[in-house]
Amino acid sequence: MHRAWHGDPLHIRLSGRGGQGIILSGVVVAEAAMLDGKFVVHTQSYGPEARLGASKSEVVISAREIAFPEVAQADVLLCLSADAYQKYGERVAAGALSVIDDLVVGAGRATGEVMLPLRRTAREMGNELSANMVGLGALIAIAGIADPEHGRQAIRQWVKPEFREVNLKAFERGMELGAACVAAPS
Amino acid sequence: MSDVGADLKRYLRSPMMPTVWCPGCGHGNIARAIATALDRLAIDLGQVVILGGIGCSGRTPFYFNTNAMHTTHGRVLAFATGLKLANPRLTLIVAMGDGDALAIGAGHFVHAARRNIDLTVILYNNSIYGMTGGQQAPTTPFSFRSTTSPFGSIEPTFDAVDLALAAGATYVARTTTFDFAEMPELISEAIRHPGFAMVEILSQCPTYFGRLNKLGDAPDMLEYERDHTVVADEEPNQAVEITRQDLVGNLPVGVFRREIRPEYVQQYAELSRGRGGNYGA
Amino acid sequence: MRLVQGNEAVVWGALASGCNFYAGYPITPATEIMEYMARLLPGRGGVFIQMEDELAALGAVIGAAWGGMRGMTATSGPGFSLMQEHIGYAAMSQTPCVVVDSQRVGPSTGQPTMPAQGDVMQARWGSHGDRPALVVTASSVKEVYDTTRLSFEWAYAYRVPVIILLDAVLSHMRENIELPVLPASAELASPSGDPELPFGSHPFMPFSAATRTIVSGLAHDESGATRGSGIGTANEQILKGAIRQIENDAPRLARCRADRLEDAEWAIVSYGITARTARSAVDLLRADGVRVGLLELHTLWPFPEQIVQALAQRVRGMLMAELNLGQLVLSLRAAAQGMCPVSGLGRADGELFTPEAIAAAMSAEIRQIEVGGRMSHHV
Repeated sequence: MHRAWHGDPLHIRLSGRGGQGIILSGVVVAEAAMLDGKFVVHTQSYGPEARLGASKSEVVISAREIAFPEVAQADVLLCLSADAYQKYGERVAAGALSVIDDLVVGAGRATGEVMLPLRRTAREMGNELSANMVGLGALIAIAGIADPEHGRQAIRQWVKPEFREVNLKAFERGMELGAACVAAPS
Repeated sequence: MSDVGADLKRYLRSPMMPTVWCPGCGHGNIARAIATALDRLAIDLGQVVILGGIGCSGRTPFYFNTNAMHTTHGRVLAFATGLKLANPRLTLIVAMGDGDALAIGAGHFVHAARRNIDLTVILYNNSIYGMTGGQQAPTTPFSFRSTTSPFGSIEPTFDAVDLALAAGATYVARTTTFDFAEMPELISEAIRHPGFAMVEILSQCPTYFGRLNKLGDAPDMLEYERDHTVVADEEPNQAVEITRQDLVGNLPVGVFRREIRPEYVQQYAELSRGRGGNYGA
Repeated sequence: MRLVQGNEAVVWGALASGCNFYAGYPITPATEIMEYMARLLPGRGGVFIQMEDELAALGAVIGAAWGGMRGMTATSGPGFSLMQEHIGYAAMSQTPCVVVDSQRVGPSTGQPTMPAQGDVMQARWGSHGDRPALVVTASSVKEVYDTTRLSFEWAYAYRVPVIILLDAVLSHMRENIELPVLPASAELASPSGDPELPFGSHPFMPFSAATRTIVSGLAHDESGATRGSGIGTANEQILKGAIRQIENDAPRLARCRADRLEDAEWAIVSYGITARTARSAVDLLRADGVRVGLLELHTLWPFPEQIVQALAQRVRGMLMAELNLGQLVLSLRAAAQGMCPVSGLGRADGELFTPEAIAAAMSAEIRQIEVGGRMSHHV
């Protein structure tokens, strides 16, 4: 099976609603990949879109200098909300991995779409706003988009001290969800 | 400016004389009052910058033997704010016209006042746009004529003192070119005042305002100033209590506010020090 | 190595250049520059102030320059339009300053906040009258830093407002770059010159006890005098001198990046964020065996005519890709002087080009020229 996330450059799109920490999760992925020794470019949508409605944050990772900075077809997609899924769900490359929150109705039927309880897990841990970090953990466990230790370092670097612990815990839970998903027979 | 005494000549940039101001214009008297105030305060001229906007008043900076900025229409206070912050030791005197300060530059005027940045605005109010040939200003009194209100103005008049007080200026005064002795006194006090100071001076424009409104020549207009103002500063803020009905066309003159409130540059210096910076040191 | 945002790179570049005064007004996508300055300048002994509008912001920067500080401001299209009055004043009064315009789709409020490159001509010709212009751009976060450093150097060397054109994507983009350590305070040469001759070809001298300078937007001579029968001529001489100095130095000022042009038969010319897309387009075309290269312009004004002419002499056709409906292509075509066909590819809908779109436009131009077509102009 073709796995788009093994390619270079690697195109990652993180999406959700404004307020779900989509831009922060993009920055964390970029930082982790930088610590892996890669070239990274992070772009974000901004303006009314970032505060309301579907929001996206994109990261391109490569061993070489990156030219085109945006993501046309994502190799890896994280989707935390229904409107983001509607907007970006199909804009993926052949063989892409899409990790989608399982509260998104109607998703999960296409090849490569993995439904995981990202928001529910975060809510159970006491802070639904850390669903982005659950998702990042899952992406790293499934697609290996960055070294997990660099993922942790990146969270320490970019997340405000008061939210650091809860985000690190969410990231670990996401890693477990992802690992379980890889282990399970598909 | 012909009657300037020898003692004041050193304040003036003689190669720039004569001024652009028309015969009988009150602006020369205001410039003389500024020179007198500088003389009384004995400020080092190297530490003074005179700034102006666009219009008759805006030419003031050319006539003083100091560093000078002749800026854009209405926006002189933006330049002055940057200059003062960059070099807080400077004494800034800002000449503004009524159109300059109250129409195109009203936004800058209120914010400089609100910040209470230490500078002195001399607002030359001749009730009309002189440089462009006699058009209506925000200060043109109701029913008065200009080339753009040929049938009499139908707009309410802007009161610079009210505006300055509302915006938070900490020294606010008004006088007239008739009050020859009072002008330099108020200007000196305004320059000494540590904060945003405004002295509005009603000035005669015989060329346009006087002619279009049949007010006579310069001496007649000075008498008109005298007859249409009431002194109202015995108690601070008393003038503010005078209602427009009481005045029936007479403008209160005097000092309307003397208040010490944190000054912007000082506030910024404290902020800088608090962050480990050496601004203003 | 650090992950740095484009707007943040402006700030580090400016501080490294001795910038110690910032006045601004919030506008997306330039606001982060202002927010960083608000946090950093007080502790460095510099000045930050939020003004009441963009006119005031640039006015304060100009005032600060005469007060002896190195100033800058940053804005986006709507604010840049407002600043034109004071860009003219800075040019007339020969006041060094730096203005960043992070472009978004216009005119008017346009698309807040999607990327565009529609302010290229306004950056050159904005403000009434004639003026010298130095306008630079960048396509990566590292280049934003380098370009900002250069801008301060040039602002003082030429006594002009230097304009840095960014765009919404570049401003908010983060890349991992190596930043030089920022000195606690930059060493600035103390100004020296003749207090009697504060304008013209003489060095910029802020106000001091030794000067009696009159700064004015009125026509003036080298001494600052604004009246006399020869003022028009004297002022024209100053302007001509400033414009000529930049024209003469154009080869030195012409910063660009040539990518696979050595053996190129065809050239894509582009700048800013679009140049990155064009680089990917060259990859696609090269993979198909097309001998194409990219000329990426970092200096937009003075327009690098000599470089373009040398290229026009040896390629069979050029394509200008830009996020507007045909601006810099006009200068490219003028500079090519008919030596090769020049076509333009533009859009102003708030999206970047895809590499495929630029490759397709280049291919279409090649086909048209190879079947004997003449100059095309498809926007």
